[in-house]
Formats: sequence, structure tokens, C-alpha cells
Amino acid sequence: MGLGMLASRVIRPTAAKLSRSSSLHFIRPIVSTPETSSAQSQPQPDPTPDPPPPSPRPPVGGARVHFPNPEDAIEVFVDGYSVKVPKGMTVLQACEIAGVDIPRFCYHSRLSIAGNCRMCLVEVEKTPKPVASCAMPALPGMKIKTDTPLAKKAREGVMEFLLMNHPLDCPICDQGGECDLQDQSMAFGSDRGRFTEVKRAVVDKNLGPLVKTVMTRCIQCTRCVRFATEVAGVQDLGMLGRGSGEEIGTYVEKLMTSELSGNVIDICPVGALTSKPFAFKARNWELKGTESIDVTDAVGSNIRIDSRGPEVLRILPRLNEDINEEWISDKTRFCYDGLKRQRLNDPMIRGADGRFKTVSWRDALAVVAEVALQVKPEEIVGIAGQLSDAESMMALKDFLNRMGSNNVWCEGNGPNPDADLRSGYIMNSGIAGLEKADVFLLVGTQPRVEAAMVNARIRKTVRANQAKVGYIGPAMDLNYDHQHLGTGPKTLIELAEGRHPFCSALANAKNPAIIVGAGLFEREDKDAIFSVVETIAKNAKVVRPDWNGFNVLLLKAAQAAALDLGLVPESANSIESAKFVYLMGADDVNMEKVPSDAFVVYQGHHGDQSVYRANIILPAAAFSEKEGIYENTEGCSQQTLPAVPTVGDARDDWKIIRALSEVAGVRLPYDSVGAIRARIRTVAPNLLNMDEREPATFSASLKPDCSQKMSLTDFRPAIDNFYMTDSITRASKIMAQCSATLLKK
Amino acid sequence: MSFTRRAVKVPPNSASLEEARHRVIDFFKTACRSIPSIIDIYNLDEVATVAELRSSVAAQIRKNSHITNIKVIDMLLLKGVEEFNNIVEHAKQRHHIIGQYVVGQKGLVLDSGTKDQGDSNFLKNFYNSNYF
Repeated sequence: MGLGMLASRVIRPTAAKLSRSSSLHFIRPIVSTPETSSAQSQPQPDPTPDPPPPSPRPPVGGARVHFPNPEDAIEVFVDGYSVKVPKGMTVLQACEIAGVDIPRFCYHSRLSIAGNCRMCLVEVEKTPKPVASCAMPALPGMKIKTDTPLAKKAREGVMEFLLMNHPLDCPICDQGGECDLQDQSMAFGSDRGRFTEVKRAVVDKNLGPLVKTVMTRCIQCTRCVRFATEVAGVQDLGMLGRGSGEEIGTYVEKLMTSELSGNVIDICPVGALTSKPFAFKARNWELKGTESIDVTDAVGSNIRIDSRGPEVLRILPRLNEDINEEWISDKTRFCYDGLKRQRLNDPMIRGADGRFKTVSWRDALAVVAEVALQVKPEEIVGIAGQLSDAESMMALKDFLNRMGSNNVWCEGNGPNPDADLRSGYIMNSGIAGLEKADVFLLVGTQPRVEAAMVNARIRKTVRANQAKVGYIGPAMDLNYDHQHLGTGPKTLIELAEGRHPFCSALANAKNPAIIVGAGLFEREDKDAIFSVVETIAKNAKVVRPDWNGFNVLLLKAAQAAALDLGLVPESANSIESAKFVYLMGADDVNMEKVPSDAFVVYQGHHGDQSVYRANIILPAAAFSEKEGIYENTEGCSQQTLPAVPTVGDARDDWKIIRALSEVAGVRLPYDSVGAIRARIRTVAPNLLNMDEREPATFSASLKPDCSQKMSLTDFRPAIDNFYMTDSITRASKIMAQCSATLLKK
Repeated sequence: MSFTRRAVKVPPNSASLEEARHRVIDFFKTACRSIPSIIDIYNLDEVATVAELRSSVAAQIRKNSHITNIKVIDMLLLKGVEEFNNIVEHAKQRHHIIGQYVVGQKGLVLDSGTKDQGDSNFLKNFYNSNYF
């Protein structure tokens, strides 16, 4: 028996019943639910005059209502229950607060309202037609009905229209299992359609190496268009044509050149925009999700690592309103294939012929310990890499201190890091706090490439409050209105002396924010520049009891924790006289400065730049394989969790140093993560306040006056290639494709 | 198994212990001569040397050195020849050879030398695996 026969058997009794009830038996009605057809004829009973009870259901997603003005609260009734909402909310939002989830495709809470999918139709008393709840403001006393036959029929009709031109390719669609259209057609759709013509087909667009398009699946919700123009700030995507010829595309053949383009994959409710690297790799129900933290920049975006067995298959954003909202940058999302390439999996020693030979951990540690004990303590240098977690940096510092050396630092913090005042190296207003600012001054920082999520926040503020942005640094394309004030310290001096026209904007601002880039840490005259910036901050009253707008935007995930733990070198030039260099994942160190007779130990997870100089390799775990604390640029510490097992014979970073310390005879007193965290508590207790932003106690005004001479050389860009900044992204093939195709030459 | 049947003919029983001993030694010599080609067939050059494999074969034979019953020796020898033929005919796979002759019987026994004495439990666990 074929499927068609089966189907006709199922259909036949219904059709027979319907032909009995009505004489118009040649119409195949779409209405499938029995109560829908029956309830249509009888009139609605009048609502009881008693005051309706408040809604028994909790708000959708645990949302809380914030009333800026208590008298602005209005009362509406959702399905007979009363709910209080602030004025200006839409009917859909009111329903969400009442705990009723309205189906929707085009509506997205972080984007503007389009109102074109019509899926969110609800019935409102005393309106002739169902209303699109996402676009309708809630009015006092409105009686909203979300569960009536009229609303159900409207949704069924909308679903039928949407599915008319939607291909039936769910079995080969990557969105399958997490598709809004699939879910909602199961929940609200009809079990059959009346459309018998040929479905339309749309040419696929090439949006670059990250986003795969199957445009025939598109339902024209325009979420991606609105995301690109509003959040990402690129005008690449748009709507072409009308009626059935309507399609989403770039107007001319063009790639989507945004650092946030991957987010259109998440907001697309159907399978029209899917991840190109993830295409046909896995189904979402096969994956194990691990809630973790991104380490490719200093923002610490919250991510979910989806893995199957030992393989990371994709990275998705997690909601965190204070840090990344619900977006992540392309680097965060697509760097994961770097976790599979160029991995170090065994301890190795470089032989006399210059080739690496695999050895056991026992032998490797014995060799390292022997060399470390032979050199003088002041010739020992330790450098933590940009991806190091707080535990391993603590262990490294303790180990080197016990060996008698204090030359330990984290790369990116410059030759003379200043760890005395915490306000001098974190983002004091917080990432979410930037939304309160009305004037920004960006000094030597290019947030679009250094921290894409911070840039998205600035863009949001510029769009919402028309905040002014002044930028000092090499010319670049920021995706919002800004004034390019100058390229170097000369402009800074003009601003400090009040000679620059932008000074008036700063002085008139209610909440001015200054963002200084951590790229300046590498400059010789860093202290002088910071003291000039502090003068500007003082003149513009940037630091007040109620508002601290003095921000430093860090570049690397390990920087803030390293400064909190006091990884500050005793002397800036110690590396030039070093005999024993311990690199803990440090790949951006200038290896030419290391003397040729120095013994270099590289502990890390990727065979990257420093491995070429290393004498011995100790394989360690990457961020997806270990539990570690990372502090982001605003001073919020968060922890990663292991999603996949370690590769080969690799070990966690802190365990390697702990084991080495024992072999070297200076045993560190901790054997477990808990014990090493107890040690961290004695040094920087704020690192253990997980997921909580710890503001700095003292402001920079306590700093002594600086007598350093400022050089007038222009600021340089801190990051050349947004897509390749660390050992993981440099090993990634997708990131290499992106830098080849998407970077503007 | 057809090729085995072709290759291995059941020889007549040994007449004396001396003859059985000669047969075993001849078999050992044949096996040793074909070790280089076995290494070639199964790509064993990165995991084992000729000497290691030779001593592994010798150990398998020595394991039965206490046996004096001629019939038993002939039977064990026949089994050995059969196994040897399977190996040279490539009827086995690489991991069979590695498991039986390279890693050998001591493969799963932990290294319990005197090296770790005095180390803490942490270090002993560290040498074993990352997860403890």
C-alpha cells in the first residue's frame, strides 16, 4: 500500500463527515480542529463583570517587568486574566508578561518591528479583524484573546500561506530539529494544504565562507535584513522584488562583510541561512551542549559549545544581557575548527638534529626541572599566554617565585604593566553601562576589531541616544557615525588643553565615556599617555561618584586576571638575559629577543609561532577542554567548563606546573582545582565571584604624577587581522578563509 | 581458510623427542627469516624492531618448553605453523599483530618500577592521565 492510499484512507472519513454537514462538498476545508469549525457559529459569551484575577502563569522566559513610571502602568486582560504592563508595550509583550507565548516569525525583541509575517495574530475584543500583536500597542482595558477559534484559524491560515512556497526538504535541512517553522507548523498549522501549483524557487546567494543560504526556504521575515542594518551596521542585505518575486539578497553580488554576520544564522527562523562550516555535520539533538566562555577576545562572551564525542561541532551564543546580549562575533562562533588542527598531543624534546622527539611525561618533566635548577634564579622568565586561565597563571607565578624568580608576566600587558590600581586596566563603566553614555572618546582603540561585542554596544547606544563618538587612532571604518579627531598623541594633548572642538561635546555630556585601547600598553610612553587621558577625564568630569566613564578595553582573555593576580615582571628587559624561558601558551612574544643559548619550554595546545623556537613541548588543554576562570575586560570573572576530552597525552595547564614543581623539588601546595582556587582567594578574591562584575575600588586619581615624556608617534592598530589573533584562530581553516575573502584590502 | 589448508599439511608424527625438537627449531628459523617481510606487510617498522619480534616469537615457544609429550609438541607446532601461515598470508590485521606480539602479554601491566617512589599521589596520577 502506497503512502497516497494511506493518506486517502485517513482523509476519507473526515471528508465524508463534512459532506454530510454541508452541501458544499467540493470545497476541501482547511479547518482541521473540530472545535474551530463548531465554535465559529455560536457567539462568544460576554465577559463577566467581576474583576478578573491576575494571570496564574509566570511570564515567558522568566521576564520581569520594569516600570520606569508607576503611573504609566496600564491594565490589559489576556485570556480573561488581568496583567499590568508599562505604557508603550505591544500586545505581544503584554501576552508574554501574562505567560502566553504568541507564535511569531518576524518579531524579534532586539530588532525593530516589521509586522510582516502575520503569525502573531490575536483577537482583540471590539476589533473587526484579528490584529498583529507584535505591531499593536497595548491600550488600557484591552481584552486580548489568544486562544479563540478566530485566532487559531488565523494562525492556521498564515501557516498555510507560509508553507505554500516552503520546500518540503526538512530531512536534508540543517535547521531541522531547531526550526521555528517546523515547530510552529506542528503546533498551529493545519494537517494539509490546498496549494497544488508549482512552488517557487529562488537563486541562492553567496554571502561568504560563513553563512550558507538556501533562499527557497526563506519566508521573508526580514529578520536578517533588520539585524544587518540595525545591529551589525552594514547595509549589505535587503529585500528585492514584490509579491511572489520577493527575495532577500545583497543588491549586487557581494559578500556580507560584518564581524557579526554569524548571528543571522541564529535569528533566521527557518533553514534559509545556516552555518556553512556546520552544514550536514550533525543534527542538533545529537549534540551535547556545554555552557562556557569565549576566550578569543577580552569580552568573555557567553557561549554554548555543542560537541559530539571528542569533537566540537559548533559554538552558539548564550544570553547574557550584561556582556554579549544574545550575539557573538564571527571569530567566537567559527574558530572551533582550529581546535582540531595543529594540536600538540605528546611531550616532545628537540633533539640534536633539530627535530622533535616524543618522550614520556616523566622524562620531559625531569629534563625541564634539571635545566631550571641549573640556571640562576634571575635568569628564569615565565610568560603566560593570552588564553591562559587564572588557575594556571597563579600556579606559574607561584612556581617561578619558589624558584627565586619574579620575572613573570602575561603577554599583551606590555613591558611595564601597572597592576596597582584596578581601575587603570578594566572597563569601569561595564559593557552594559556603556548604554548610559552620551559621548564616547575612543583613544587608540578600534573596538570593531578588538572587541566586536563592545562595538555592538556602542553602536546600540549611538542609535538609541544619538551619542557622539570621537575617535583618535589610525583611520578605520567604524560602523556608526563618528568623528575622526586625529591619529595620535597630538590630538590628545589638544583635548587635554581644551583647544580641540570636541572638548565642548565632552564638557556638555551628561555621561561621557572614554575608552582607551590596551594596544597602548605596548608603547614606551604608556604612562604619559594615560596621564594625559586622565587629565581629559578630569576636565570632562568623566569619573564621578554616580558615573565612572574611564574605561580600558583589553585585547586578550587572560589580561585582566593576570593583572589581578599580579603577574608583573621585575624588570622589563629580563627576557634579553634569560637562560630559561617558560612560555605558557605565549605565542606573540618576540622570540628574537630570547638569547640563542636560552632553554625555551613551550606549554600549550597548538603548534604555533613559539614552537619553532621551543626546546621542549608540554602539551596542554585548550579552553574547550578544561575548567578555568577567565576575567573579562569589565572585571567580571566567569568560568569555562570542559566540553570535550583533552587531545592525546595533554594535561590541564595548572596540573603541568604543579607536577613540574614537584619534580623540581619546590612542590606547590595544591592538588585540586578547589585548592588552587583557595590560593587565588588569598591573592584576588574577586576572581572567585563568578558571573559577577567586581568594580574597582579606587579611581585612577590616586596615581602619582607622571614625569614620562610623551612621544608624538601615531597610534598603531592593535590587531591587524580580526579573524586571526591567537593560536586557535590562527590554526582555523575557516578563519583563514574569512581573512582571505572578507578583510578589506 | 582454504589457503591454510593448502599450505599446512599435517606432517606425520615425530618419531622421537629429538625429531620434534628439530622440527620446532626449523619452524623458529623459518619464522625469523620471514620477520622482515611481516614488518613490511603490516607496517610495523614504527612500532617494533626485528629483534623485538624475534624475541617475542621465542618467548611464545619457550612458554611451552616444559612439555615432553611428543604428540602435544606436534600439535602445538601445527598450531604455530597455522598461525604463522595466517600472518604471512595477510589473513590478519595490523592490530592483531601489535596486540599479540608487539605489546605482548605485559601490555596492560602498569609500569611498577621504583621510579615513582617518593612521588606524591598527584604526580603518580598526573603521569597516568589528565583525569583524576
